[in-house]
Amino acid sequence: MRNTLGERWYTPWAYLMPAVCVLGVFFVVAMVQVGYYSLTRYTPFSAGGPEFVGLENYRRLMSSDRFWWCLLNSFLYLLVTPAIIALSLWAAMVVEAALRGTRRWLRVVLFLPVVTPTIVAAIAWQAALAERDGVINSVLRMVGMPGAPWLTEWPWTLGSAMLVTLWKGFGFYMMIFLAALLAVPRELKEAAYLDGAGRWGVFRHVVLPSIWPVVMLVFVISSIGALKVFEELYVTVKGAPVEDQTVVPLIYDTAFERGDYGLASAIGITLFLVILAFSLVNLRLSSRNARAGGA
Amino acid sequence: MERRPTWLTLVMYVGAGLLAGLAIGPGLFLCVVALQPAESAFFSIPTEPTGKNFSDAWTKGGLAGPMVNSVIVTLVRSVLNVVLAALAAYPLARMKFRGRGALFVIILATMMIPEQVIVVPMFRTIVQMGLVDTLIAVVLPFSVSAFGIYLCKQAFEQIPMSLEEAARIDGAGSLQIWWHVMLPLAAPTLATLALFSMIGAWSELLWPLIVLQSSDKYTLPVAVNQLLGQFADNPRLPYAAAVLTLIPIVAAFVGAQRFLKPQMFAGSVKG
Repeated sequence: MRNTLGERWYTPWAYLMPAVCVLGVFFVVAMVQVGYYSLTRYTPFSAGGPEFVGLENYRRLMSSDRFWWCLLNSFLYLLVTPAIIALSLWAAMVVEAALRGTRRWLRVVLFLPVVTPTIVAAIAWQAALAERDGVINSVLRMVGMPGAPWLTEWPWTLGSAMLVTLWKGFGFYMMIFLAALLAVPRELKEAAYLDGAGRWGVFRHVVLPSIWPVVMLVFVISSIGALKVFEELYVTVKGAPVEDQTVVPLIYDTAFERGDYGLASAIGITLFLVILAFSLVNLRLSSRNARAGGA
Repeated sequence: MERRPTWLTLVMYVGAGLLAGLAIGPGLFLCVVALQPAESAFFSIPTEPTGKNFSDAWTKGGLAGPMVNSVIVTLVRSVLNVVLAALAAYPLARMKFRGRGALFVIILATMMIPEQVIVVPMFRTIVQMGLVDTLIAVVLPFSVSAFGIYLCKQAFEQIPMSLEEAARIDGAGSLQIWWHVMLPLAAPTLATLALFSMIGAWSELLWPLIVLQSSDKYTLPVAVNQLLGQFADNPRLPYAAAVLTLIPIVAAFVGAQRFLKPQMFAGSVKG
């Protein structure tokens, strides 16, 4: 078979081969494997490889308090998304309103947290959140509120990690919002001004409706990000018991500290199903968006 | 005309100041703590800045090896990400072959598989390949991404067919067209992809933590993670280590900031 470029049949596959091998082995096959492992008893010391045990691991999960606590915490962690949306949308609006010369540098500065490795961010925030002499508790006490055990006690530990997620993430979503804001037709806003709308009115009735699909997308993407969180918790609240953390730290602990690959895979499948629900919503939103020609 | 009252401009400037402070505050704070001599009060302006914490972090904390490892991992991973994605995207964008549509859908579907879900089989595969505790293991699974292929495909599709045809008439083969026509014209996208890969590779912790065992193979985040709480005699040491981890990536990012365009993120939303 010859194609339009007059290449041989295998030419496209030669280009595709490295990528297909990597994604195939490490993602597609791995996804099938994790499904299979979740039905087996499998440890680093399993001599004959994974041993099929049916739904045993899922049964163990259902009766595991650790698992339910972590799953609950993962859902609590989703509370970070409204904060991310608010902060990143605000940042995008500030950048959009900034003068031409300062706009680019403001954008770069506000993107710095995204560039900052989580471990570095966590070290800084740990110091700020320290119970006795941290900046945050000092400020709280100054305004007459009691300080909180940010790094040691649930649910404060969860809040601390969420703070790091928020700080590290808002610059990324700001860029998405900025792209959406810049795509709002100027004429639309000017027409609204001519009709006597105030700034709030223009935002509420012109800008917000046109970027609404993007708000929803950011909601979905940041929710998926929140469900996948590991590093913020692992480093910021080092030493917090695993049941006070979320699902991914539980997977890490189960697989690599306790050596229970089967159970860890079952937790992985559960997490995948939750994330898949969000991904499907994302897909629907994107295709609707693409059809509408927006964002 | 858009009205812009002075109070609003003021509000915007205050907002910009607050946000900028939030963004660079933690980094500045780390520098301040790391520059102070060990004896002085923990939070104060360093009147006599010292480099001792940095040299301690470098020598006692053993950061030289991890720094080299991180540089290698980051460079290799971003080069591979760009090259492999651009190679794969070329036929997807420009050639007709059986299974193209299905293959592209499968590639996009891998974006929905989170690394966190499949770490166990990923690790087992690395074990079976005999690559545990090597830098290759850190790079290999993330040497190409569906997102990168998608970005490159989008960029290639923007390039006029006529350029390619002209090259073909001049007798260029597909690989020559890829190298001499597609890559240069898609350069801004490739640079953005390289930048994203660099940022990701430099800060990755979960996967290196799983596959690396001996300290001479550690990347910086793993090494700094090990330092935490280890040096009771100098509590500033981890802060200096954090600054040393931060500087290279910030420098690289600021150098490449012109590739940070909001338009690229509009694309990432669609994917």
